[in-house]
Amino acid sequence: MVTHSGSPGAVRAAGRLNQPRPAVVEARVDGTPVRVNRQPVALLREEWRVVDRWWTEEPIARRYFEVVLQSGENAVVFRDEQRSCWFTQRGA
Amino acid sequence: MCSCRTYVPVIACILIPGFELRAALRKQPGLALRPAALAPAAGTEPLLGPVTAEAERLGVRPGMRMGEALATCPQLVLVEQDPAVAEQAWEQILRSLEDSGFAVDPAETGCVYFETRGVERLYGGLEAALRRALTAVGTAWDPRAGAAQRRFAALAAANVARPGQILVVSDERLQDFLAPLPLELVPMEPRRRAELHELGVKSVGQLAGLPGAAVAERLGPDGRRAWGLARGGKPARVRGRRPPAEIVEALEFPEAVGNELTLRRAFAALLETLLARPERGDRFIRKLALVARLVGGGSWRRTVTLRDATTELGRLKAALGPKLTELPAPVLELRLELVELTEHDGQQLELLPAAGGELDVRLREGLRQVRASTGSGSVNQVVEVAPWSRIPEARALFVPRDD
Repeated sequence: MVTHSGSPGAVRAAGRLNQPRPAVVEARVDGTPVRVNRQPVALLREEWRVVDRWWTEEPIARRYFEVVLQSGENAVVFRDEQRSCWFTQRGA
Repeated sequence: MCSCRTYVPVIACILIPGFELRAALRKQPGLALRPAALAPAAGTEPLLGPVTAEAERLGVRPGMRMGEALATCPQLVLVEQDPAVAEQAWEQILRSLEDSGFAVDPAETGCVYFETRGVERLYGGLEAALRRALTAVGTAWDPRAGAAQRRFAALAAANVARPGQILVVSDERLQDFLAPLPLELVPMEPRRRAELHELGVKSVGQLAGLPGAAVAERLGPDGRRAWGLARGGKPARVRGRRPPAEIVEALEFPEAVGNELTLRRAFAALLETLLARPERGDRFIRKLALVARLVGGGSWRRTVTLRDATTELGRLKAALGPKLTELPAPVLELRLELVELTEHDGQQLELLPAAGGELDVRLREGLRQVRASTGSGSVNQVVEVAPWSRIPEARALFVPRDD
């Protein structure tokens, strides 16, 4: 919720920077991406995992891939292993 | 024959006993009929605050040790303090009184004084004016009104009055009225009160009957002041407060934040935004309050009054920033309020403009133009909150800047 700052009780909602966005990813059997948002992957540059907040009710388990698409664009995608779905993310 | 008489100003006191508890119970009204008490604030002595009538009936008293109270009444419910809600409700009451024409002088939450001169004619007499004041407060709060020519006597009268009742004490009857009242009514240090109890002084009249010099010698200045009040106190005037400024900025976090660094950065962003608000004009900040809505439903509030009114970011940060370490729980929303502003009091002007001042002006102008073309919410400030985090979206927040 963002109200106009001119009102006496303005409440600004802080947002998260680099929020993950859902992506359409086709992957091989070993889990590496082949297509990201319908664009073929030309090169897989790096892969890493992030496992965090396992002590909370919203644990994080992600498998990240940094890829170069055939168009030349760099992209970072991850598979959320809790929800079994794919996302792209900037700033990773 | 002239029948004019000198008008003696009457001081009225509106009292709402246990205001903090009543305010905290507004969210859970069912507890008002059960044995409940206001829990002590985190980090303070474990002494109970105000208690409900049912708790009092079962032997629980305000100021009792928590362990003792729970042993006396095992079904006692402890209500968490909610200072922000209490402050807000109190401010609404004060404004409602001001809207009705009373120039209020709040002593603390739940206790306010005003002079009835001026409003008596408006409402047709003292009683009618006080009745109007009680209506302005609202019956839900069970307010009581006391009036006398002295401040302490008005407070004592309000303490004795029943909910919704008005008690007016004339100066001639003052000593007789005060004499049988309990000593607890006179504000003084608990140690002094205990000392007086040990000496067998248990009522206001007994204290007033003691020789002033002896009281001063035995109990010091605090005792002397209490003795003066027991004799009615000085007939002082009541000055209406300066209505608080209404400039508030709040920041809602996507999730509860307990990290001090994050909170400090959010506080800095709020302060910068607040200082840039056009309503402030050229006025300086005298008093400001930091309020937090805590995870789990409670709230927290700290107010700082600056000795010298200022608009210097560094000084304001230094005054209020350290208070963030006192937060008892993670925060869902942080709010900064400019409570009191002062007029420009002739500070020394800069001989040379500060380095970067010109760039700052250009940047602000550029941002203003961007906002004008793209609309509100298009300019944001990135606040790094946990740059070390392995989760990219947890590293930084963006805060809308519409100033």
